[in-house]
Amino acid sequence: MIKLEIDKKEIMAKKGETVLEVAQRHGIYIPTLCYQKDLVPYGGCRLCIVEVKGWSIPVASCTLPVEDGMVVKTDTPRLKKLRRFSLQLILSEHPHACLICDKEEECAKYQECIEKSAVTFGCKFCARNGDCELQELVEKLGIKEIPFEFSYRNLEIEKFDPFFERDYNLCILCGRCVRMCQEVRGAGILDFQHRGPETLVGTAYNLSHLEIGCQFCGACVDVCPTGALRDRYSKWLGLPERYVKTTCALCNIGCSIKINVRANTVVSSTPDNNQICVRGRFGIAPLVHHPKRIISPMLRKGERLVEVEWEEAFDFVCTKLNEYRAKTGILFSPQLTIEAINSVYGLADHLQCEKLATTSALETNLKPLDLKGFRGDLVFVIVNTDMISDFSPLLLKLRSQQKIKPAFIVIDAVDSKLTQIVDLWLRPELGKEVDVLKLLFAQKKMKNTTAVSTQDIKLGKDLLKKKNIYLLYNPYNIKNITVPKYVKKIPLTAKINALKIIDMGVDSSTMDLLQDKNIDCLYLLGTAPKLNRKYKTIIVQDCFPPQVRFDLFLPTATFAEVNGSVVNIEGKIKRIRKAIEPLGKSKSDDWIIAQISKRLNHNTKNRKPKKRKTIISAIAKNRKVGEKYPIHLIVRENSYSFRGHRLSDLMKGFERLRGDGYVRVNKRTAKKLRVKDGAEIKIIGRTLNLVMPARITEDVPENSVLVYYHPSMGAVNSQPVRVECVH
Amino acid sequence: MKKKTNKEFRLHLLICAGTGCVANRSYEIKEELVKEITRRGLNTEVRVAITGCNGYCERGPILVVQPDGVFYQKVRKEDVPCIVEEHILKGKPVESLMYRPSPDAPPISRMMDIDFFKHQTSVVFRNRSRLDPEDIEDYLRFDGYKALKKALVEMNSGQIIAEIKLSGLRGRGGAGFPTGLKWELCRKSPGNIKYIVCNGDEGDPGAFMDRSVLEADPHAVIEGMIIGARAIGAHKGFIYVRKEYPLAVKRVKIALVQAEEYGFVGENILGTGCDFSVDVVQGSGAFVCGEETALLTSIEGRVGRPRPRPPYPIEKGLWGRPTNINNVETWANVPQIISKGAEWFSGIGTKRSKGTKIFSLVGKINNTGLVEVPMGITVREIVDEIGGGIPGGKEFKAVQTGGPSGGCIPKSLLDLPIDYESLVKAGSMMGSGGMIVMDEDTCMVDIARYFLDFTLHESCGKCPSCRLGTKQMVEILDRITEGEGKEGDIEFLEDIGKNVKLASLCGLGQTAANPVLTTIKYFRDEYLAHIKEKRCPALVCKSLISYVIDPELCGGCTVCAKNCPSDAITGEPKEIYTIDQKKCTKCGICLTVCPPKFKAVKKVSPPVK
Ligand SMILES: Cc1cc2nc3c(=O)[nH]c(=O)nc-3n(C[C@H](O)[C@H](O)[C@H](O)COP(=O)(O)O)c2cc1C
Ligand code: SF4
Ligand code: SF4
Ligand code: SF4
Ligand code: FES
Repeated sequence: MIKLEIDKKEIMAKKGETVLEVAQRHGIYIPTLCYQKDLVPYGGCRLCIVEVKGWSIPVASCTLPVEDGMVVKTDTPRLKKLRRFSLQLILSEHPHACLICDKEEECAKYQECIEKSAVTFGCKFCARNGDCELQELVEKLGIKEIPFEFSYRNLEIEKFDPFFERDYNLCILCGRCVRMCQEVRGAGILDFQHRGPETLVGTAYNLSHLEIGCQFCGACVDVCPTGALRDRYSKWLGLPERYVKTTCALCNIGCSIKINVRANTVVSSTPDNNQICVRGRFGIAPLVHHPKRIISPMLRKGERLVEVEWEEAFDFVCTKLNEYRAKTGILFSPQLTIEAINSVYGLADHLQCEKLATTSALETNLKPLDLKGFRGDLVFVIVNTDMISDFSPLLLKLRSQQKIKPAFIVIDAVDSKLTQIVDLWLRPELGKEVDVLKLLFAQKKMKNTTAVSTQDIKLGKDLLKKKNIYLLYNPYNIKNITVPKYVKKIPLTAKINALKIIDMGVDSSTMDLLQDKNIDCLYLLGTAPKLNRKYKTIIVQDCFPPQVRFDLFLPTATFAEVNGSVVNIEGKIKRIRKAIEPLGKSKSDDWIIAQISKRLNHNTKNRKPKKRKTIISAIAKNRKVGEKYPIHLIVRENSYSFRGHRLSDLMKGFERLRGDGYVRVNKRTAKKLRVKDGAEIKIIGRTLNLVMPARITEDVPENSVLVYYHPSMGAVNSQPVRVECVH
Repeated sequence: MKKKTNKEFRLHLLICAGTGCVANRSYEIKEELVKEITRRGLNTEVRVAITGCNGYCERGPILVVQPDGVFYQKVRKEDVPCIVEEHILKGKPVESLMYRPSPDAPPISRMMDIDFFKHQTSVVFRNRSRLDPEDIEDYLRFDGYKALKKALVEMNSGQIIAEIKLSGLRGRGGAGFPTGLKWELCRKSPGNIKYIVCNGDEGDPGAFMDRSVLEADPHAVIEGMIIGARAIGAHKGFIYVRKEYPLAVKRVKIALVQAEEYGFVGENILGTGCDFSVDVVQGSGAFVCGEETALLTSIEGRVGRPRPRPPYPIEKGLWGRPTNINNVETWANVPQIISKGAEWFSGIGTKRSKGTKIFSLVGKINNTGLVEVPMGITVREIVDEIGGGIPGGKEFKAVQTGGPSGGCIPKSLLDLPIDYESLVKAGSMMGSGGMIVMDEDTCMVDIARYFLDFTLHESCGKCPSCRLGTKQMVEILDRITEGEGKEGDIEFLEDIGKNVKLASLCGLGQTAANPVLTTIKYFRDEYLAHIKEKRCPALVCKSLISYVIDPELCGGCTVCAKNCPSDAITGEPKEIYTIDQKKCTKCGICLTVCPPKFKAVKKVSPPVK
């Protein structure tokens, strides 16, 4: 324990704490600007300076470690003067007309600037007006004037990237975004550029964030104390009035988030003292208020779709379900609440339906991921899984929460952002991933038939030595993994509620269900796969119009509009809280099913749904490419989707970031086949016929093409194919 | 073939191969000498070799003939046959190549009789003009690595530190922190991996003593570092040299290879069980990278930006390990302190500043170059005796010490003894040893603006006070020199300057305002003249002067009118010429072309309307 004196108060502190932390803990206010909890203190803004006995000049308290017997003053006239000096200088470079305007009150009251300040020089048209740390500090330090010449950087606003914009005219160089990006996210996209008065924040070579590989997690936006970085979607929606703590259901991590609401509008969603990903940060608000949403029941009458009331819709459903009963097939998205899933199972039981399937990629014997269970000196081997795109908050935890820095090895034929930051990337040809694993764990000498060099295998073996080894993989992307017992296998299922569904069981896989000839009526909850045949009746319950021809559409609310819970990859039950009332006539999934059950005279109370035996479809044979089908088709799970809809089909930003409606073609292969970027191509396999636009890249290996799975493709597996141009 | 030892040669022709002389083709002269000597079959009795910088670069290329110490200056390739013929064969030194204090003074033959050298005290420069920096044998001949043997074999780490502490050696890189104390703190700092660093960034414009030491005597620096490593318990060292010093990098690398061959660097040094290796790191050349924490981040491979201290480098330096960082000159002092003893060293200098300091003497002074002087010498002695006074009979005005963020010392302080404390008291600092002499033609407002502008653009941009405070000051100074100065500007400058000093994180910001504050302190009247009378007393600030033709003196020769690029001068031949102020761009060509017999063009301030 360390004893020190701050402002004449005796205070106890722990070794390693800074004076600022200790002062804050004791309610002593010291102004700060560049300081941000969880980031390495920077000492740049000079606002947090304090006087220490024995020191001739003031010191920044955010970087000053406490020492026994230290005598600190936080509020002397000299400090006041110097803080005001620094802040006034910062403002000399930041459009400040409104900050020091004496007509501020009238302006707020009458919503009109009577001083007629130029827009760029004031706060009035800044997206962060009212939620700005500079405004707060000006108030706290009582700044009424700026004695310095004003200088405007006159930079162009950077609007060319998806999701957020950057106006570096407003940047005060606090370095929070830079540190966030480097220290916490480990991405290193942002850094300081130039020196002296030209110092700026930016990317290397001034490339766009998209070009330089930004993850668009938005962590920089959320730490920026000014309006320099701002979320494009919420920019003009006004400041939130409520912050609803809830869970993101877009993937199996189930991050805690805040949904920020103004009136009945979701303005944005932000992390809740944690790290989240681009989907949770920028995907939710535009999803909820998407113009394509259907918010009233729709019934097909002849050739026309007609808006109907719920009663009429329920009449239709009940008639049909009563008619087909066990001949109904139910396919549901895992992205429902647990409550909704329970009622789906209850309804299936009541109908004696034996055809219940989900669109989640599953693996039997799934166990909750125990993040605290990793011990000792760790090495993670990641196979065919882009953890930066798909599981970034999890990856950050694996990287940061360990006592000893773990090592990471990636085995993947496909390049990604992940391969850039790991200790070793082994790039076999497609389908040889399992062989590389065998080589890595071989006790004796083994023949190497893979494209990975024997030297790299040796490097890998060295990394594995005397370590606790964990194998991470998305079971959708790699099958048939066998490893020695001492290697712990951790399947990373991408969709939320996987543990719940495994616990309940499903009767068949999606593909088997769709091949079942005995089904007359399809009830699709949040998924719309490509259908191979006609059905007598198709009922769709969803938020967005499906790509199949349906008879009835039941509009559901998104997870921002309902109460309930989900279970995530760790087996934690997480709360889903209603942030806004369901839009239009849409209702929660469980309410809709409860209404149907009631009308079918099915008593849902106290009835536990029966467990089903999970059947996972047979693994497609690993065929070799040959003369007829010379190209490998790689199929990866698309974890950027909501209820079977690609985020990239719904939001422009995701389309630019991911482009998963495209088939990725290796550059040299494209040249050989004369495929042009953006042109439609045909992918033909034994049982496959896809037409998609091409995107040319070097991420996929030669002689291969890659697609992210989407239900509209029908049954698609990794397999040898032929590629033809569509002319 | 057995190498001939030094004693066996009758004469040594030592041609300077410092950066300055090399630029003046000294290597070609060396080739020529070798050719000539060989041609005449003298190569068994006369040795031709290179040396490091002599410090008197403006007189280069320099050739010194030892053992007599005959000093030839501005030698050309064509002079070689004459030197060999006259001096080597006939024993008659060539007077025409010798130094003369003034064109009609008698030539001075011996180096040590030349004023520039006579008043210097060579400690760090003890080997100047006598050894070949690329040959470790030469260094060994002059007692090289003796101190290392003594330190490693006869002394333990406590004794080494005690000796350095007793000597009173203080850092030569800027702040003058006691070196022995720094070593002791680093030694005591917990951790078993420690580093030592040699700071050879030398970002001050015009300063080149560290370059010169590294080029002329790299082994002295390396020897000092090994002794330091032993004292501190470090096994790895880094020499950080700026990229613009390729010759220094080359010499240091050669020296390291040779030192390793001789077993002074590497594993089990001299069989004592000590291990120590050194890497050379080339810096990106930013001024702020000389600041120790910025330098360390730069060695770690990141952009060099200062970070807050504490923790100090001795607690958490390179990669979080205790790191002792010293300046080139500091390291070069160490071997001699060990071999000659602390008492000898502390016998030089003043009570609190011991030993010598190398200054880079430049500006309006007759002899420019590197001078090594004992601490406590006065400004007057340096300027008058070593520097040989101000050229052109002009008046001395001030001297700027401490580099761009040092301060100006005025005429009234000519007898100020040069040591760490006195300089700081006068508002300046030792810095790394820049010394710029200014005469009456220097405008103090303009010079303050010049230095501040340099510092502003070298600021790393982190602190608002440094990045924006100095910017505000530069803008005000711009205004003043353009004749737009306002009442209150001086006070505002002082106020901002004092705040910048107190609010900034690192030494750069904390000293940036010095040139402005000292010039205001000592030359306030010049500021006032600019602001109130719109007059530049030194006739420098363009906006505040006019060129006029004195009708009394004008001879009507037409030269000025013919040369004026903006056709501003009119008149008839043999009549009086006049300058149209509206057209005049103040290029000053008329002043230079007006024949000396007339001297009719004059600068005046305030400008004529
Ligand atoms: C802006 C700035 C530039 C500096 N540049 C140099 C330099 O070029 N060389 C140097 O030795 N020290 C320089 N220093 C001083 C170093 O920070 C450090 O004090 C010094 O290297 C320590 O060595 P010493 O104790 O031997 O002087 C600089 C300091 C500042 C603030
Ligand atoms: S963009 Fe924002 S967070 Fe980044 S340095 Fe500028 S003000 Fe700070
Ligand atoms: S990682 Fe998953 S749960 Fe977390 S924000 Fe992204 S999509 Fe949502
Ligand atoms: S004082 Fe200047 S150079 Fe030093 S850290 Fe601050 S901004 Fe950078
Ligand atoms: S908060 Fe400490 S310097 Fe900015």
